[in-house]
Amino acid sequence: MTTPLLSVRDLEIAFRSDGTDIPVVRDLSFDLAHGETLGIVGESGCGKSITALSLLGLVPSPPGRVTKGQILFEGEDLVGAREQRLNQVRGNDISMVFQEPMTSLNPVYTIGEQIAETARVHFGLSKAKAWKRAVEMLSLVGIPSPDQRAYDYPHQLSGGMRQRVMIAIALVCEPKILIADEPTTALDVTVQAQIFDLFQDLKRQIGAAIILITHDIGVVAQMTDRVMVMYAGRKIEEGPVAQFVRDPRHPYTSGLVSCIPRLMMPPSDEVEDLFEIPGVVPAPRDLNRPGCPFSPRCNRVMPRCRDENPALEVRADGRKVACWLETEVAA
Amino acid sequence: MTNVLEVENLKVHFPTGKGGKVHAVDGLSFTLAPGTAFGLVGESGSGKTTAAMACARLTDITSGTVRLNGRDITHVSGAELKKARRDIQVVFQDPYASLNPRERAGSIVRRPMDLLEIGSPSERDARVDELFALVGLRPDQKDLFPHQFSGGQRQRIGVARALATNPGLIVCDEPVSALDVAIQAQILNLLGRLKRDLGLSYLFISHDLAVVQHLCDQIAVMYLGQIVEIGSRKELFTRPLHPYTHALISAVPSPERIGLDGNARIRLKGDPPSPISPPEGCRFAGRCAFAEDRCRATTPPLRVIEGGHAVACHRAEEPDLAAIAIAQAESLPAG
Repeated sequence: MTTPLLSVRDLEIAFRSDGTDIPVVRDLSFDLAHGETLGIVGESGCGKSITALSLLGLVPSPPGRVTKGQILFEGEDLVGAREQRLNQVRGNDISMVFQEPMTSLNPVYTIGEQIAETARVHFGLSKAKAWKRAVEMLSLVGIPSPDQRAYDYPHQLSGGMRQRVMIAIALVCEPKILIADEPTTALDVTVQAQIFDLFQDLKRQIGAAIILITHDIGVVAQMTDRVMVMYAGRKIEEGPVAQFVRDPRHPYTSGLVSCIPRLMMPPSDEVEDLFEIPGVVPAPRDLNRPGCPFSPRCNRVMPRCRDENPALEVRADGRKVACWLETEVAA
Repeated sequence: MTNVLEVENLKVHFPTGKGGKVHAVDGLSFTLAPGTAFGLVGESGSGKTTAAMACARLTDITSGTVRLNGRDITHVSGAELKKARRDIQVVFQDPYASLNPRERAGSIVRRPMDLLEIGSPSERDARVDELFALVGLRPDQKDLFPHQFSGGQRQRIGVARALATNPGLIVCDEPVSALDVAIQAQILNLLGRLKRDLGLSYLFISHDLAVVQHLCDQIAVMYLGQIVEIGSRKELFTRPLHPYTHALISAVPSPERIGLDGNARIRLKGDPPSPISPPEGCRFAGRCAFAEDRCRATTPPLRVIEGGHAVACHRAEEPDLAAIAIAQAESLPAG
């Protein structure tokens, strides 16, 4: 068996508060293959973004740190790697597109300079060559008249254009893994569609694997091959995207899939209330209670769920689910 | 029955400082019947929020008329404006930015009654209790500050505040777009329930077509300050006519469209033109795959196709546009 591109093993990330480590991600293991798009889904506060940051060694420390586990990139453990080594990995091998294109660009440099800087630092290109590369990247991400727009400052661009610039910066070193954390939530649907088309094109051209973090089930369905659902810092379900959408197993997953309004053509005559997941995601410090962390919000909760936390089990079809309902059905 | 809201040829222009002006809203007309929800959809910059804020008299109106329950409120001020405000309230997009962080939740909800001098102090207190129950908050949460609430609960406070003066019309400006998916459903269900139970009307601003289809009875699609298509929920989503509406529908990421290739969709190129100097002719022509010379030369008027369904497109009924609507419908579930 070949080594996966990325293999996360038993990852635990904790934040120190009042002298104790409060885990925000626990027992997290997943793999990412070459050219694959993995979706990470869950509400805010489920540990999606901090997991992504940990892959780049960017967990804010202090107060946060990886307290357990391994992040194996092509077999090399990035947990505890030197800053120098991480700097090589960031951008070259793994790069990230952040949520807010408005705040992630430097307002006092032209976009050309910001892309060229990345190319200079990572490839050691000359100024002129780096600039040429920047213009090529702008063209690749679909910015019209790139040789002129390279001289623009971020404020001269629309949100969609800025996000394209962010993607250009992330891709300039042709990384093997691109992490996109809610890359389109600040954008219009039409622009979102353009950005996703761009991701698909780039995936074909560069062959990068993508980790897409989102809470939009529609986006997941359209963009990913495989989906991992996180709740309260743990993976609670994982499987191919079609099964995720059509036959979700965990009550949280099925809640996420059915709580969104679906666009219908023609529309239904009667409008029914949406399915609701009551309540909110528990705070990390409330997670030491026994039982399944989702049980207070679960519509299929059983007595057992309140006492014991179900482990992630592999089903016969290869999907993974952490829910007592699975064992009940099997028994 | 009097319409809750009648908007006629509404224009809101902002000076740019260089002698030009931004045509944010440029000739908008629509009516809102009692107990219904009217959705304004479009991209950012289409003028939907400005239009709604003008209706609520929260931004200056350049020209045109806004009538609330039959009364012209376009230029009212002082006591008259206060009186109008009792009947039109707003739920804002960001529940983190629209609540005073130093004010307790109960006081936030009570504030509109204080400002508009509604009821006696004890009546106001009783009303706050009633409103908390109505939106699903506990009475003991009145003494908490906004930061002690989750996003969804904050938006409930925002809804309670909008309901405080017992208005007939609530302007909802993207009320769920800042919320997590699971929380969106809670707030959308709350808004739906309040509409049914209290007979409320909504002017609902959203960029999310699925949300608009879920909650609205009438829908107008805006592009660069103007309505390009308007119709009932049924009309608009059974037979969308404008190429821009097609593009919006096509861009919706739907779970049913698993792995749908980007090429199967309508790709809108570029950004909308500047509202400072909108182009001649159809404002969408520069991004439209169906644009012809006449589209760039003459502005298509908003013309009625059938019933209340109107479109501003020269070519709306032509077969190649109708084919797109059919292709769209095939990739989406039927209701």
